[in-house]
Amino acid sequence: MIYQVGHTIISPLGFSSEENYRAVKSGKTNIRLHENEFGLPEAFMGSIIENDLLDNEFSKINHSNFRYTKFEKMAILSIYNALQTTGIQANDHSVQFVLSTTKGNVHLLENLDGFESDRIHLWKSAQLIAEFFGNKNEVTIISNACISGAAAQITVLRLLQSENIQTVIVVGADMLSKFIVSGFQSFKALAPELCKPYDKNRVGLNLGEAAATIIYSKTNDTVPANSIELVCGAMANDANHISGPSRTGAGLYLAIKKAMQSIQPEQIAFVNAHGTATAYNDDMESLALTSAGLQNRPVNSLKAYFGHTLGAAGVLETIISSLAIIDNTALKTNNLQERGTVAPINSLMQNQTCTEDYFMKVLSGFGGSNAALLFRKTR
Amino acid sequence: MKLGIESYCRITNEKVIVNDKTIAITCEQSWLTDIYHSAKISYPKFFKMDNLAKSGFLGSELALQPLEFDKNTIKEDIAVVCCNRSSSLDDDTSYQKTIQNNDDYYPSPAVFVYTLANIVTGEISIRNKTMGESAFYVMEQFNPQKFCSFAESAFLDSNIQACICGWVEYYNENCDVLFTYITRNSKNNKELNIDTIHTLYNL
Amino acid sequence: MEELILELKKEIIEVLNLEEITPEDIDTDAPLFGEGLGLDSIDALELMMLMQKNYGIKVDNSEKGKEIFKSIRVMAEFISNNRTK
Repeated sequence: MIYQVGHTIISPLGFSSEENYRAVKSGKTNIRLHENEFGLPEAFMGSIIENDLLDNEFSKINHSNFRYTKFEKMAILSIYNALQTTGIQANDHSVQFVLSTTKGNVHLLENLDGFESDRIHLWKSAQLIAEFFGNKNEVTIISNACISGAAAQITVLRLLQSENIQTVIVVGADMLSKFIVSGFQSFKALAPELCKPYDKNRVGLNLGEAAATIIYSKTNDTVPANSIELVCGAMANDANHISGPSRTGAGLYLAIKKAMQSIQPEQIAFVNAHGTATAYNDDMESLALTSAGLQNRPVNSLKAYFGHTLGAAGVLETIISSLAIIDNTALKTNNLQERGTVAPINSLMQNQTCTEDYFMKVLSGFGGSNAALLFRKTR
Repeated sequence: MKLGIESYCRITNEKVIVNDKTIAITCEQSWLTDIYHSAKISYPKFFKMDNLAKSGFLGSELALQPLEFDKNTIKEDIAVVCCNRSSSLDDDTSYQKTIQNNDDYYPSPAVFVYTLANIVTGEISIRNKTMGESAFYVMEQFNPQKFCSFAESAFLDSNIQACICGWVEYYNENCDVLFTYITRNSKNNKELNIDTIHTLYNL
Repeated sequence: MEELILELKKEIIEVLNLEEITPEDIDTDAPLFGEGLGLDSIDALELMMLMQKNYGIKVDNSEKGKEIFKSIRVMAEFISNNRTK
């Protein structure tokens, strides 16, 4: 069995998983209007980690003079906090790191800020992150747009099939910058208000910063009750368009179908979906969920708490959903006022109790990529 | 499971090799456009792609050409896996130029869309109508062992029968591509292993 | 107007990388999207950027875009009535 032994979320809602979960459960968000941020000519709604807070926390764990970027600090801090209480030695050769990110240090293209030019490469950041923990194994880096964090967990399942690897530390992280925000603005994809996933009046997404880490180990023994097992995962491509979601949801349906091979819809407590709050994504998901017979299962999106956290999303949303199922709670979709997707789905407007053992995490993104992960709570 | 390489294509700034044969390229415009024309491909979307997607598109097209690959029916059992060193930095740099100065600030959506490295896997999936998994990995150097393990990992999905797997690097006008078409239970005697991939890369 | 129409066709071919198409191939009154040129949603966004960059016209939403990009002639008329540069 492959199961979670530790995790942490670093986000504007807190620097631990529990803090983040409590904030979400009580309906909090730090998505707000940012004017004159990053030298952008246009304001945007987003969720940004305060540099001072991050630097302060990071200085408690970094005792060298080596300079790290914000992206690296977020990633390192999330791994460090996740390792606490696990007893795992991250420098052991049986421990493997997996990094999930879309853009890493891309902000350095504008201004290197005293860093060497190779710092823009994802593998360079990955090396520095692993080195911080004294780990010498080559980091597996996955950059699969919005589904990176789910793809990375599928990689975890595969890496742990190898005899030499006992533990995989998967970290998803992305920071915001002029580069990323201006790009989404050019796509006219950003909402001028708090995003409204699955809502009739949704007009676009919000971006958010976060780093999230899950530590996975494998065992043949029974694990304690209320552990979260990563059961299986699958990916599929729409083969339709590089940026526009499929109009049929065929790719996502294919991924879900593969991930659900061993269970029935009634066994699923909730589906934590992508729910970016763009018109096409949410409609596409509603079609795929319906094709998979999940139209009556509780569905939620966490985007109106954290924004779309890009390469961190798959990991972060898995952690929140894991804590929720342990808490017997299916979380609501924040800011959903009036359901309105092309196929009707049971997107939750209030937190509610759930008793089933499984939850599913799905993601879709640019490049036509889709992923579905199945998790189980142990009794 | 015996994975075998049915066909491959190697592209560098100097040469194009498909299944051990060097392909003659008529030099007229840019290198990638010249390869496109020499290979007699007709796909207008090619000209909208960034250099990384163009490189991956050509590598996969040329690797699949000798197989008379069916591009018309949807195939749920074929995966597309790519890896490289520089992610999408070539296009990232182009996009940065459109936003660098606020006096001349016109962020281009058509350039931005290619600032995700995995778009190349999307382009290849669209072209070939493959709906299996698509994945993009980054590593410091070309590493035959990693290349093999990424390809093998796609076959851990038991539905997958074949994988279009490529190393596709384009940065600072340096094009470095190796594409393979790998099948499960191959009858071909070119087995997927570190030595084979090492040899093909160094052709 | 004819001058602006030709200029527009050239600009569209350039920014949308319509490599194998010449201005003569583009029908001034035919729909820009849907058939013919094979343009997609990213092309529409790129055309909005072109309107702003070359003619100082800000097109903010895609509904408005759909009206303006009906054909080259509609686009040219809109530009000549609204251009600020």
